[in-house]
Amino acid sequence: MYVLGLSCYYHDSCAVLLKDGVVVAAAQEERFNRDKYSPVFPIQAVNYCFQEAEITIYDVDEVAFYEKMFLKFERTILSHVAGYPFTLRNFVQTMPLWLKDRLAVPYFVEEELRFKKPLWFVKHHLSHAASGFFASPFERAAFLTVDGVGEYACASYGVAEGTDLKVQREMHYPHSLGLLYSIFTAFLGYRVFSGEGKVMALAELGEPRFLEQFRQIADLREDGSFRLDLRYFAFNRGDTMHNRRFEELFGPARAEDAELTDRHRDIACSLQRFTEEVLLRMARHVHRATGMEQLCLAGGVFLNVTANSRLRNETPFRDIFIQPAAGDAGAALGAAAYVSHSVLGAPRAAPLRSCALGNAYTDRQIEVVLRNKRAQYRTLAPEALVGEVADRLAAGRIVGWFQGRMEFGPRALGNRSILAHPGLAEMKDRLNLVIKRREAYRPFAASVLREHVSDWFEGVGDSPFMLEVGRLREAHAGRVPAVTHDNGSTRIQTLTREENGVYHELVDAFRERTGLPMVLNTSFNEDEPIVRTPAEAYSCFEETGMDCLVMGNHLIER
Amino acid sequence: MTGTMCTRCVLPHAPPDILLDAEGVCNICRNYEAEERMGALEDPLLETDFLKILDKHRGKQEYDCLCMLSGGKDSTAALYYVKQKYKLNPLVFTFNQGFVPDEHLDSARKTVDKLGVDWVYFETPFMKDMFRKIVQTRSKVVICGICSLWYMLKTYEIAAQFNVPIIISGWTKGQTTGSSRSVLSKCACDQNPEEFKAMSAATREFMDKHVRTDPKYRDFPYNMQDVMQIAKTQYKSKAVVLSPHWFVPGGPDEYVPVIKEKLGWDYPERSYPKKSTNCDLNFVASKLAVKNFGYSHYHIEMSNMIRLGVVTREEALEHLRMDYGDEVLGDILAKLDSRGMA
Repeated sequence: MYVLGLSCYYHDSCAVLLKDGVVVAAAQEERFNRDKYSPVFPIQAVNYCFQEAEITIYDVDEVAFYEKMFLKFERTILSHVAGYPFTLRNFVQTMPLWLKDRLAVPYFVEEELRFKKPLWFVKHHLSHAASGFFASPFERAAFLTVDGVGEYACASYGVAEGTDLKVQREMHYPHSLGLLYSIFTAFLGYRVFSGEGKVMALAELGEPRFLEQFRQIADLREDGSFRLDLRYFAFNRGDTMHNRRFEELFGPARAEDAELTDRHRDIACSLQRFTEEVLLRMARHVHRATGMEQLCLAGGVFLNVTANSRLRNETPFRDIFIQPAAGDAGAALGAAAYVSHSVLGAPRAAPLRSCALGNAYTDRQIEVVLRNKRAQYRTLAPEALVGEVADRLAAGRIVGWFQGRMEFGPRALGNRSILAHPGLAEMKDRLNLVIKRREAYRPFAASVLREHVSDWFEGVGDSPFMLEVGRLREAHAGRVPAVTHDNGSTRIQTLTREENGVYHELVDAFRERTGLPMVLNTSFNEDEPIVRTPAEAYSCFEETGMDCLVMGNHLIER
Repeated sequence: MTGTMCTRCVLPHAPPDILLDAEGVCNICRNYEAEERMGALEDPLLETDFLKILDKHRGKQEYDCLCMLSGGKDSTAALYYVKQKYKLNPLVFTFNQGFVPDEHLDSARKTVDKLGVDWVYFETPFMKDMFRKIVQTRSKVVICGICSLWYMLKTYEIAAQFNVPIIISGWTKGQTTGSSRSVLSKCACDQNPEEFKAMSAATREFMDKHVRTDPKYRDFPYNMQDVMQIAKTQYKSKAVVLSPHWFVPGGPDEYVPVIKEKLGWDYPERSYPKKSTNCDLNFVASKLAVKNFGYSHYHIEMSNMIRLGVVTREEALEHLRMDYGDEVLGDILAKLDSRGMA
């Protein structure tokens, strides 16, 4: 039984294919059309999923969509009506999108895919909840979902057991933690969807001296729910979602290219602390309300690694699972999983242990690209390859690492990654200068051997999907400056031999040479979606200052 | 040709249409690279696009499509996918102008039997005089270009006879010159690109001089547009020509193992280019094309395949290597009563 899950028309459009409840393939459309966060109908991703499974649409039993579009449309209409006449301009701008695309999902599915059965529309937060729970190893658990907004819900929690999910409470628009984070992201001069991570990094450099103002704009309750004071916001009214009163409280908004000041850093820090406080209260309340020992988290807000770590360490839950594609791409997976398990009764599958669900290329396919690009390369046996690459990393070289299937979700986890020596202080600047060209204050993440993680870091255990941070132990202070934030924290991916294969071997070989059980890992891209194909990887290698590129068993050096 | 061949593809320096620059790269590759760099290349055709077209016609006639089958890897794979993966009911058509080796026909027969599909086999000596004239007049026209006009006309005729709305070919990605999407409506034979210009001119010249003046071939189509016009007006056929290979990633690396396993298909012992299944005239046609233009239509196909990342340049050169001798050519020319021309 094949179920296709889809998300599109806002951001991170994506297709996921499940066979008897097991994920066969999953990919975001941006990787194909090279448009970051692409919102369009994920037609190329769908084609990829079918080709991976060697099927066509005729073999697909059901198609699931990640939200109830009419309910969302209703909310949109009502909120515009409530704000009339101030919302008129926004209404006129938004309606064509609804009429052309968002309400035409069944039409597009039939027209583009030739799927003629009715679709399943799964509520947005239920999709998130299902994406977390069905990917988790838990037989029963509580779930907590938090994002910008779905139909009405901006957050929800409930209980899941077996193949059954029950939502117990929801927090509704406009009182949204995800939206609040996005409002401040825009206020601080960054782009919504891509800038939230930058705000999170900026937060680590500031002081939470605006927390009192946050309490003024949001009435936070003990259970983590809150109500925004709408006098400070301008939803649906113009280009920004904050108003003049908001600026009286926080100061003027920052222009995109304006200098960052302590005020900006302190606002970011206060936002981050407020976010963590909300999530901690929510999670503690969920624990009290459900009595569950395990918790599943999903929704874009749980890409916030600092908050995730606090949830793991400061709530009573015995175990927490965070959906690796926590954002809307993951909701496509959730919608398909909900239909597979909860509607059609497919038994639970093994938990999701790897995000390697995208395109893979054979050595032969890689070789065709390299030969036609007239690249100088050597093909090595796997053991020799690992040794040679470890030598180069130890010597301070920057390595493009392209192996196996492309990752699903926003993180590069060692299949489409750029790797470097974490112990060299200048590496951060070098990477930023020659490849990533991103803000100097943003830290790079580390891929750490699981068996060594607790020797080096506090507050982190398993973090296979790079969704948590750890604090470098005092004994190792200063040893991995390229992956350590000013406050001593590091975003961590833990590696095991079983799940990470050759990548684990590489990091282990690097450890043997340097004594450091980790490498710096950043996504394989240069201000564009992460590379998918060998040709894209080679172009990125050619256009940037990477020292060498490894694709399959082929080693290319400058 | 080393030294005068593009360092990226396998086209030679052939003014005025194909020009190598100081780095030894041809204008076709340069144009492609520029489009690639600017992001101006077309989005790839997708399998779902293919299904959209198939579904429009599925189940409306006795046969959903007419599959052209030579017995080679590309047409065999196309037929296999159409029948097994896309679940159509195909009518199969094999055309033999008298030069298709028995080995290839046996392969086609075996495939048809295994898949249990209906098969129309059409053999005719009608073209023999024209082939002979090409050789004996030392015309520059490419035999395969002329032959394809005839077999496409026959294909349309049979499609019309059985009311079949879709013609399925096994044409590779390299055989779609010009714009991928535009070829859907041009029978994949857009002959405007630079690399085809000289060959097209030779065809026109031969047509004017020898075909239009010969009563036997008075109604012979002038070019592929003419074929399509005849199909439309005389046969009342609106059939579209498609190849599944245009719509899925990869190439023979992906589908040859499938047809080997599922159909027991294998490469023929003798053919040109290597690892293809083409009629014997290809030995002569390709040799003459290289002599007359410096390259053949297979060089164009292979160059496209290189640019699309389907094969390496080295593999293309190996496929195109003409290591057959005068003996092979002599045997084929003997059939055209032209042994002396070898």
